[in-house]
Amino acid sequence: MNVRLGEEQMLESSPEGEAARPPDPLWYKDAIIYQLHVKAFYDSNGDGIGDFRGLTEKLDYIKDLGVNTIWLLPFYPSPLRDDGYDISDYHGIHPDYGTRADFRQFVREAHRRGLKIVTELVINHTSDRHPWFQAARQAPPNSRKRNYYVWNDTDQKWLETRIIFTDTEKSNWTWDPVAKAYYWHRFFSHQPDLNFNNPHVVRTVIRVMRYWFDQGVDGMRLDAIPYLCERDGTTNENLPETHAVLKTMRAALDKQYRDRFFLAEANQWPEDVAEYFGTGDECHMAFHFPLMPRIYMAIAQEDRHPVVDIMQQTPDIPETCQWAIFLRNHDELTLEMVTSRERDYMYQMYAVDARARINLGIRRRLAPLMQNDPDRIKLMNSLLLSMPGSPIIYYGDEIGMGDNIYLGDRNGVRTPMQWSPDRNAGFSKSDPQGLYLPPIMDSIYGYEAVNVEAQTRDLSSLLNWMKRVLAVRRTSKAFGRGRISFLRAGNRKILAYVREYGEEAVLCVANLARAAQPVELDLARFRGRVPVEMLGRAAFPPVGELPYLLTLPAYGFYWFRLAVDAEVPRWHEERLIREDLPILVLFDGWNSLFRDRVVPWRIAMAERVRTQFERDVLPSYFEPQRWYSAKGETPKRVRLVDHALWNVGAQSWMIALFDVEGAAEQVSYFLPLALVWEDADDERKRVLAPATIARVRQQAQVGVLADAFADEAFCRALVQAVGAGKDVATASGSLHFTATGAFSQIAGDGIGALPVRRHQAHSSNSVVTLGSRLFLKVYRQLRPGTSVELEIGRYLTEVARFPHCVPVAGALEYTGSNGVALTLALLQGYVENQGDGWAYSVGYLERFLDQRRAASDPVPIDAHGAYLAITRTLGTRTAELHLALARSSGNPAFDPEPVTAQDIAAWKKRAHEEATQTLKLLERGSDRLPSPAREEAQGLLAQQQHLLSRIDALALPTGKALKIRCHGDYHLAQVLIAQNDFRIIDFEGEPSRPLAERRQKQSPLRDVAGMLRSFNYARWTALASAAHAPDDLARLAPLAEVWEAEVRRAFLESYDAAVSASNAGLYSSLAEMRPLIELFELEKALYELRYEVGSRPAWVRVPLQGIQALIGTSRSG
Amino acid sequence: MERVDILLEPVRAFLAQVGAFLPRLALAVAVLLAGWLVARMVRFAVVKGLRAINFNVLTERAGTDGFLQQGGIRSDTTDIFGALVYWLVILAALVIAFNSLGLTYITDLLGKVVLFLPRLIIALLILVFGAYFARFVGNAAAAYCRHVGVQDAELIGKLAQYAILAFVVLIALEEADVGGAIVRHSFLIILAGVVLALALAFGLGGQRWAADLLERWWPKHRKDDRK
Repeated sequence: MNVRLGEEQMLESSPEGEAARPPDPLWYKDAIIYQLHVKAFYDSNGDGIGDFRGLTEKLDYIKDLGVNTIWLLPFYPSPLRDDGYDISDYHGIHPDYGTRADFRQFVREAHRRGLKIVTELVINHTSDRHPWFQAARQAPPNSRKRNYYVWNDTDQKWLETRIIFTDTEKSNWTWDPVAKAYYWHRFFSHQPDLNFNNPHVVRTVIRVMRYWFDQGVDGMRLDAIPYLCERDGTTNENLPETHAVLKTMRAALDKQYRDRFFLAEANQWPEDVAEYFGTGDECHMAFHFPLMPRIYMAIAQEDRHPVVDIMQQTPDIPETCQWAIFLRNHDELTLEMVTSRERDYMYQMYAVDARARINLGIRRRLAPLMQNDPDRIKLMNSLLLSMPGSPIIYYGDEIGMGDNIYLGDRNGVRTPMQWSPDRNAGFSKSDPQGLYLPPIMDSIYGYEAVNVEAQTRDLSSLLNWMKRVLAVRRTSKAFGRGRISFLRAGNRKILAYVREYGEEAVLCVANLARAAQPVELDLARFRGRVPVEMLGRAAFPPVGELPYLLTLPAYGFYWFRLAVDAEVPRWHEERLIREDLPILVLFDGWNSLFRDRVVPWRIAMAERVRTQFERDVLPSYFEPQRWYSAKGETPKRVRLVDHALWNVGAQSWMIALFDVEGAAEQVSYFLPLALVWEDADDERKRVLAPATIARVRQQAQVGVLADAFADEAFCRALVQAVGAGKDVATASGSLHFTATGAFSQIAGDGIGALPVRRHQAHSSNSVVTLGSRLFLKVYRQLRPGTSVELEIGRYLTEVARFPHCVPVAGALEYTGSNGVALTLALLQGYVENQGDGWAYSVGYLERFLDQRRAASDPVPIDAHGAYLAITRTLGTRTAELHLALARSSGNPAFDPEPVTAQDIAAWKKRAHEEATQTLKLLERGSDRLPSPAREEAQGLLAQQQHLLSRIDALALPTGKALKIRCHGDYHLAQVLIAQNDFRIIDFEGEPSRPLAERRQKQSPLRDVAGMLRSFNYARWTALASAAHAPDDLARLAPLAEVWEAEVRRAFLESYDAAVSASNAGLYSSLAEMRPLIELFELEKALYELRYEVGSRPAWVRVPLQGIQALIGTSRSG
Repeated sequence: MERVDILLEPVRAFLAQVGAFLPRLALAVAVLLAGWLVARMVRFAVVKGLRAINFNVLTERAGTDGFLQQGGIRSDTTDIFGALVYWLVILAALVIAFNSLGLTYITDLLGKVVLFLPRLIIALLILVFGAYFARFVGNAAAAYCRHVGVQDAELIGKLAQYAILAFVVLIALEEADVGGAIVRHSFLIILAGVVLALALAFGLGGQRWAADLLERWWPKHRKDDRK
């Protein structure tokens, strides 16, 4: 098969799919919110203040970052004495920021990009310039207008109510000389509180809310919500009256709108905040204020306790509700929700400079708080993005912007966005002194050091990292919607938790310490799942019996998808005996399995043991093996058909052949067995553990029955027997160990001392290596006849002496009672290599695409130079292989024959038949295909006639050509890379074809076509893993296509050059053979299509597009 | 004519005798033939039957097969049982045949042999099962000794095995009633010899130890010490 793909992933291609989806009323649970101030983002008109037009221009940047929601700080008309939170007109736009038309344009553009918009609904108070307040102070006491605000004759009322801005305000009451009364304000004295005990006020506020929702706003942040209502004898916070007001507003929202939300700002303890969710009938979201300082504290203390502790105190919230979490925002890093001791600690750790403190908090940005340590910044972000809730990213923190604590109030964290190293940080074209605030200009955080332009180009920048990590977060709903459960690892410096949503589970592990840390996690609940690291998509060893060991670098973190569908890494070996293995009572050693070899009174017992062995033990061992052909179906009975007890020295093994009862296909299996008893050989038992078939007991003795290929002694004995050319009789046949002439040269002396290693192999074989000399390939699935690989391998080793294949040293063959020969094992020379061509090519292309994803410069002309050079070598080696196989040696099985017209007609006929058959299969299976593939499949089905006539109409080559024995299943995984050269391996042919067909002579161009298809697969595989976001796909697909075209050309040119130079007469000219290559490519693609429809519907698009391209307009290549 | 009659009389009588004898001979031959056929069938059945119940495994484990092979006999114990049964049937046929011929002396002689064969078979069975039992006990003893850490565990196992085997052989011989008295006597003599040898060995080897022991129990010089 031409495909060996790592992670299976859907190839999605609709980048603008979000707009088409039906609205999800719970979308805010998956939201990633970007918080920004219009005035600070981008200035389009050069007045020194950011505006809506500027923001609209920068929407692509926000979209590109990977967030899906924008939260705008207040942009309403205001005297700007509290950064816009003192509103003087609820319905307008501050003239500095633009007009209502600008705002509407902004909303349209944002929605077009799938971005949602959250604005501020500041209703606790207004500015003292607001017409309502002006009217109120003029109106007579107790009139309707006066009662819009809260008045009192003295300032000695509600004294127990705390003062929030302790640095500026002395009282919550301020004297108004016009009204001749004190008015109530919880914040600044210029921000009188509205009187929500007055139903008129509630109604008016709801009208304001409707106005903005009608403008297209998707959510509203309710500012300072706990302070709406007042009552005697209370602290005037979180009053039931306040909740009643919220319920009224929510009812008004639900009546008219769907998929909009309220976000409550209530700086309170979690149990108080939870009340703002009501029973799902107040706010949809609320900030989790206490979590934020505890994340900082956990890193400062290098202890997970603060975070675990606060999350445990966090009550469950209604299903439709969601927390909003953040690291930094436009206010100070508030320390209201920590104990005073913790506050002192935080001040000491993060704000030694008293100037950095304001009110009860710290007015700094994330990067300076983390002392600009990129690892800590990334760790903080990773915690933010993986904690339960919708994360909020404060503008500028994605590039690690700094602050200016010399500016008044909290303006230090509200400086202009740093776009480029140009004047005013690229934020505005105005004179520097005209800016609303000076940009950061120091040498570490200044705009010349930290800006979007530089970080976009720098692939390792924080900005690009943020884009990647946000893309990863979007791949799983578990982050936004999942439950959280903490894992209590022994190492307290590690914070580990699992987020679970339905079947999905994401394991997050973070090292809070400044040094590398190990941790052992109890993942027993997820036994058998494969952790796939989400940023790099590398699979880790599966969760097993033991605690899961991880090591994390300083401030390191991992997100693992605990996958049920991912493949275990190839190199992974299970080293423990599964506890749930069945016990086989072997009362008399190997004899216990044979009724005719035990004493008379134990015959019945032997029959029972044999039945248990064949019906229970072997089927459950066979089922998960890679080499077992009927995947996913446990065999009913695995019958022992022939065996030999093989004794070498004191050791005894059973070389056994098995048949699977009830299997669709008549296949035998080769599974030699070793029996090892405890005490006698504990080390051997440990080594055998991963290959254990059953635990065994004989009276008081226990041991294991295992696959003998895990037993070093067996492998060595086998190799030695090959060298000695032994024969061993079995119950009804015989085993032959045979060596080729190359054996002594390959194996050398001292086989007994060579280290034996078992490798994870693919499909129907197992592989064992002895030192770096011998490579023992064990055929597990046996089909009648000598293996093609042995036949061709012997020919290439002994007759053709082809240096670029793996030399064959010998084999183990079996002859049954019916005289049919089977090849059980093949002994080859070991070739030091750097992996196969598939891993190399996909790895190369992935790296290339990864680089291009963020790069903005054009692709260099010779971008693939080094890769193309090695492709040319591959082309030459392929040609040399064919020339070696085309040599006349007097062996009729190998001598080349001319291609006749009948041959070509037969090939065409075969392709025609396979096309018809494949299309039938596709028609039946097309319903099960995922969406874009289904339509493409329909498209191909519609073109059936075109496809068939295309096959029939292919121009036949008229010149001379040869047909020879070929590789048969030639693709990138069949070539090993060694020293910048290739070794061609695995001459078995396509495993699904019958042996006689695989032994037929073919046109060598079949191999060429196979390799060309393999390049195509490499292209799609690399593309799938390099494209994280849908829009990446659109960007990278053309690059991958160009790569494929260049590689095809290089391969064909070098192949042709080597063939033409030889005069062997494989073909007269390649140009003439093009139609034949096309035919073979088509046939291969059809073969792939059949495989994918049956096994991996997500990949069906690869062969589908290949076929479409082949039958479309003729391609250059 | 008279003379001729007189001359013919013995001939007639002879012929009459022959005439009377021939059918009996024919019968005897028929019996023999039938017996031979039955014997082959029975041998086949017995050998098959014994193999079906893994009797051959038993004899192999008991060591009798190995014993036979060491003696250069190619067939195993099961075949010997087959042969014995075969001859039993053949002999029975012969007895009947000779009986029908009236050769009572030969019949008596054969009858003794026929009666001996079943005892031989039983003696052989005793030997087989006994040898298996002896080997089993020997292995068990060796395994136990090995487990508790006794040195020479194998030796003790073998001793136990051969001791039991000796008795088994005696019982088998007793059953077969072959040389009963002489074997019994020689066995007793050998046993006595072994016991004597052991007594001497322990007596001489353990002399000092025994003396020390005696000294401890009944000190000789107690009174002298008091002086």
